[in-house]
Amino acid sequence: MKIGIPVLEELLGRLPKGKTLTYYIDPEVEGDVFAMQTLYTNLEEGHRCAYVTSTMNSSSVKNRFREFGWELDDFQNFSMIDAYSGFVGSTSEERYVVKDPSNPSELDEVIRKVLRENDLVVVGALSAMIDICGEDFAGIAEGWTGVARDSGSRLVFSFVAWPYSESVLNRIKDMSNAVVTVGGVHHRVVLGYYYGILKADWVDVENVAVLFRLVRPGGVRAYIPKILVTGPFNAGKSSFVHSISNKAVSVDRLGTTVALDHGHVEYKGFSIDIFGTPGQERFDPLLKVLGREALGVILVVDSTQPKTFPRAKQMLEATTRFGLPYVIAANKQDMPGALSPEEIRKRMALPDDILIIPTVAKNGEGVYDVLEALLKLLIGGRYDEP
Amino acid sequence: MQILLIIIMVKLGFIDLDIPKGSNLMVYGPPLIGKSAFVRTLFNEEVSNGAGGIYVSTKDTAETLMEWFEKVGLDDFRIIDCVSKAMMEDVADTDKIKRVSIMDLTGISVRVNGFLEEYWRSGVRDILLAFDTISALLMYLNPQTVFRFLHVLASRLRAARGVGVYVVEEGMHDDKTTTTLKQLFNGVIEFKEDEEKRFFRFISSSSRTDWKEFVIEDGKVVIP
Ligand SMILES: Nc1nc2c(ncn2[C@@H]2O[C@H](COP(=O)(O)OP(=O)(O)OP(=O)(O)O)[C@@H](O)[C@H]2O)c(=O)[nH]1
Ligand SMILES: [Mg+2]
Repeated sequence: MKIGIPVLEELLGRLPKGKTLTYYIDPEVEGDVFAMQTLYTNLEEGHRCAYVTSTMNSSSVKNRFREFGWELDDFQNFSMIDAYSGFVGSTSEERYVVKDPSNPSELDEVIRKVLRENDLVVVGALSAMIDICGEDFAGIAEGWTGVARDSGSRLVFSFVAWPYSESVLNRIKDMSNAVVTVGGVHHRVVLGYYYGILKADWVDVENVAVLFRLVRPGGVRAYIPKILVTGPFNAGKSSFVHSISNKAVSVDRLGTTVALDHGHVEYKGFSIDIFGTPGQERFDPLLKVLGREALGVILVVDSTQPKTFPRAKQMLEATTRFGLPYVIAANKQDMPGALSPEEIRKRMALPDDILIIPTVAKNGEGVYDVLEALLKLLIGGRYDEP
Repeated sequence: MQILLIIIMVKLGFIDLDIPKGSNLMVYGPPLIGKSAFVRTLFNEEVSNGAGGIYVSTKDTAETLMEWFEKVGLDDFRIIDCVSKAMMEDVADTDKIKRVSIMDLTGISVRVNGFLEEYWRSGVRDILLAFDTISALLMYLNPQTVFRFLHVLASRLRAARGVGVYVVEEGMHDDKTTTTLKQLFNGVIEFKEDEEKRFFRFISSSSRTDWKEFVIEDGKVVIP
């Protein structure tokens, strides 16, 4: 059976019989689409698929699918399990109904039956069931993985990882054959989304993180993040892009860049496009266009040229207006008279929490430290950043 | 290394209160005393002065809210309407109005973050989020679930250096719930009625204002 998510499909292959796949979702990310996409892909393949709703009525579920261009009513092989209406006291027309969704044993009974009668069962909000029935409910859900195994069907959970107790979070991960995490790229606000594989017991998984967007219609689409390398004239931007990239092109005239440097780097499972901007002021409008698209900024300064620092600061302001995180590369550290990062911080009047990392772009020294620091800001920055 | 603790303050204009950016405040008082009017007046004031505004409503539909704000001349803000879905067949979302079921906390969280990102990327750095009311969530969901949700939401507002105000009805919840709620927030704007006059004050771990009288005129809170 297909998984239906780009890139994930290549990494995990097909979803084998009897397996449970959990999408483990950051509460701030619109991650319910993953399980919906897996379901819809298999409806199209002709499999008997069922969707359990706990947080909205069935017409809202259908509209939610419709947002992505997926028409559930077209499929005879689809059934809905309504575990919502009973909760708000309305009636339901669906084939399977959980009359009292706050009753764990009724939920258990219905889901077990549905698992035996279908090839794929998608539980749209396992976390909402736990919210209603309590943390012990994880044990009941664990039982369903056994039913899937024995009946040869497949079970997919959408689980929103609210701050539950560690033991519940671990239990959810442990009981699943595969866990795909869906997370946010944070910098004060959520700037982007990514997914990665935490585990899968039927293949050897690589450590990858894939940035994605939601396309309407279309669903989950992988995309390549852009990182912007900017800085004053002659600071070493082109050298930086070239030494970090697996391949790169520049359009230089008389040693200065007159168009974008473009490089591409595969790093720790990320596939990243790097753009170096020209340093001359006449290209500033370009900065604005790129800044809107980018996910982060690397500012390269020539540590031996303090007279260029005001210009560096100006470029930083132009790009960070878009709210992007940035890291500074204190370049040309091999040259005599190069100022230390701390000296640069002082002269540029930068706050203590801005990262300034020494580099020698010409031979690649330190360039990956810069990238690493920027990625950490983006992916590692959780709710409680300062 | 020297650690500098810089707290950036914002002034909540009409109540003349300085609070640190990134604060989450509980608006707490007996039913019908004017908490919603208070929150709307504050919201109108801040958003008119350039802040981005996100209004999460569990009591009124987006249409009712719009009507109120149109009267005071405010139309550019965002609404998360947690009422319509339960009342009518699906009404479509717009750029400024998203509708979710009150049971769908993830839906609320995701919509808030969508609006935050939009404001952030367009250069708006001051954000006010009004949540009216938390008490309605507690009618449908157990307290633990609501606390987890609020923990994530308040942390996000803190990280984004926005300000959140959350309405809680006095007398509707048990003491344990109220106490736990208070711990999630940085301060409380409290209301009381005394000899037919209405008062509010602000209490946080570090400060406490005197009771201030207010009246409600045309649905707006006015400090005489
Ligand atoms: N010694 C030393 N020279 C460097 C370093 N990085 C770059 N350079 C030299 O500095 C000059 C400018 O480098 P580029 O990479 O072209 O700089 P740029 O920022 O792209 O320049 P523009 O596109 O003209 O703004 C070249 O001669 C590089 O060889 C470094 O770390 N150390
Ligand atoms: Mg160049």
